[in-house]
Amino acid sequence: MSQNAIITLTDVNKTYPGIVPLHVLKGINLEISRGELVSIMGASGSGKSTLLNILGILDNYDSGDYVLNGTLIKNLSENRAAELRNRLIGFVFQSFNLISYKNAIENVALPLFYQGVSRKKRNMLAMEQLDRMGLADRAHHLPGELSGGQKQRVAIARSLITKPSIILADEPTGALDSQTSKEVMQVFRDLNSDAGMTIIIVTHDPGVGAKTNRIIRISDGLILPDENV
Amino acid sequence: MFDLAREIKQSLSNNKLRTTLTGLSVAWGIFMLIILLSMSQGVTNPFKQNVMSQGSNYINIFPGRTSKAYNGLKEGRYIDLKDRDLATVESQNGNYAQQVSSTMSGSAITISSPKDYISTGYEGVFPDELTKRGTPLTYGRFINQLDLDQKRKIVVLTEQNASILFGTPEESIGKTVKLKDLSFTVVGVINPKFGQETYIPFTTAKALNGYNLSVDVLAVELKNVKTEEDGTKAENDIKGTLSRIHKFAPDDDGAVRIWNRFKQQLQMGAGMWILELAMWIIGLFTMLSGIIGVSNIMFVSVKERTHEIGIRRAIGAKPRNILTQILTESVAITGFFGYIGVFSGILIMEVINNLIEGTDFISNARIDISIAIKVTVVLIIAGCMAGLFPALKALKVKPVEALRDE
Repeated sequence: MSQNAIITLTDVNKTYPGIVPLHVLKGINLEISRGELVSIMGASGSGKSTLLNILGILDNYDSGDYVLNGTLIKNLSENRAAELRNRLIGFVFQSFNLISYKNAIENVALPLFYQGVSRKKRNMLAMEQLDRMGLADRAHHLPGELSGGQKQRVAIARSLITKPSIILADEPTGALDSQTSKEVMQVFRDLNSDAGMTIIIVTHDPGVGAKTNRIIRISDGLILPDENV
Repeated sequence: MFDLAREIKQSLSNNKLRTTLTGLSVAWGIFMLIILLSMSQGVTNPFKQNVMSQGSNYINIFPGRTSKAYNGLKEGRYIDLKDRDLATVESQNGNYAQQVSSTMSGSAITISSPKDYISTGYEGVFPDELTKRGTPLTYGRFINQLDLDQKRKIVVLTEQNASILFGTPEESIGKTVKLKDLSFTVVGVINPKFGQETYIPFTTAKALNGYNLSVDVLAVELKNVKTEEDGTKAENDIKGTLSRIHKFAPDDDGAVRIWNRFKQQLQMGAGMWILELAMWIIGLFTMLSGIIGVSNIMFVSVKERTHEIGIRRAIGAKPRNILTQILTESVAITGFFGYIGVFSGILIMEVINNLIEGTDFISNARIDISIAIKVTVVLIIAGCMAGLFPALKALKVKPVEALRDE
């Protein structure tokens, strides 16, 4: 394990229970270094969504080890899991997942509400992030009043506000047109090059993969050997 | 604290219609509870004030006619209760009879003052007559034991009669009236709810009535009675004594008419208690339906917000955060609208009380404020329960699945 690794997965397995149990991850071994911009690509059913959920501490796994920023993520209580999600991970989803009755600044500030930060402070920090995304003038708009690209940028602002170790994006451009997709990918690239954020994007779009610095391919529950981009 | 309050307000305002409809069902439930309890108080209060304030440890026995033949005597005989029966009952039924008093009346006489006269009757009574009837004494004094012992010629008038004879009730105290050509002194004035009786001492009435020593009633003040059974036993014992003296069958129901006020009081008390209980039960069930309404809505609301809850959990909400949020929303709805229900209920009852002011059958239809508070507390606890189960159910779903929900 290299010193600069921010994520290490060692022989991680997961099986979904059922009448016919589904062994989805069959021994994942993976290392991602601090400051990388990687994509995880695979077809439907390859296990990439499951892998994403495990990386995001949204789901548990059956065997192996997952270490994130020096913390072993294993057998966590729901309380501890929530706390780590809040502090270490920033999520960006395909369908944005903003709360429809909260405006942009309230949505961005919400992770800090669960940290117990005062309203004044968190709104100030949220404004900073929105500004960084160029959305300062849209701060008090509701999600319904924003375009797809703007909504995704609000989501990205929200993902950054707790200063997490990694950004996890699940098909972030899936709901956007090609022009807006380019813009959003540029945001990710800038975050990575200027701020040194570690960003992991799960996608099936080769165009998106091409804009990252490393492609990790997963097929049938296993990581394929690396290729260079 | 304020932060949470703001969160709650925002999420409840998001669906104002649903919040309001839920709240109204709670408000209605508690509103009905308050109305029912107040009305039942209003209906039982007159009883408590009038009927039950009068001496209740009594059996009143009135003369009647025999309904069956007995010992060679035909039925249809008039049973005349006599003055000497008082002493007999006192001695022979000493275990139940504390004291026997009576009234002896005369009718169709004139009572006149220098100013005016009234055509009326008189009632010769014992000193406890006022307490037995619960009649207030407004001026002067009532008949006492000394009056009885000395067969004094004194009289107690009603306010109305005193006014006719002397102008005002106060004026009449100490003045003289002519009753059956004899001078009587007015010693007191009373204000009865019903009737215009003129009272003189029992012994004086005996003297006036001469040879006819029939009494109107035997009023037996009871002792050693607690339950309805005791009341029945006392009644039968005394009736037995009278049946021997006056020669009628002990089980003859018409020979003497008995008004067992002791038993009646117990029965009315039981009746009122049942009424109050019934009102509580109906009211609580109505309130319960309001709570079920809240519960229902909380389940639906939480289910609909599965996706939103998933988002919150993904960005760091711990289970207890979600629980707190939902419970607080539930308590806020029940507390706020519960208060509206209590407030409206009390307000409406004040309006109703103003309208019924002065009627005989219902008075002071209000409940103790402590009851209103207790009920509101119960409501809030119920609100907690109503939110708790949906919240726990929501938390069982994994965030991943919750996010998939749309």
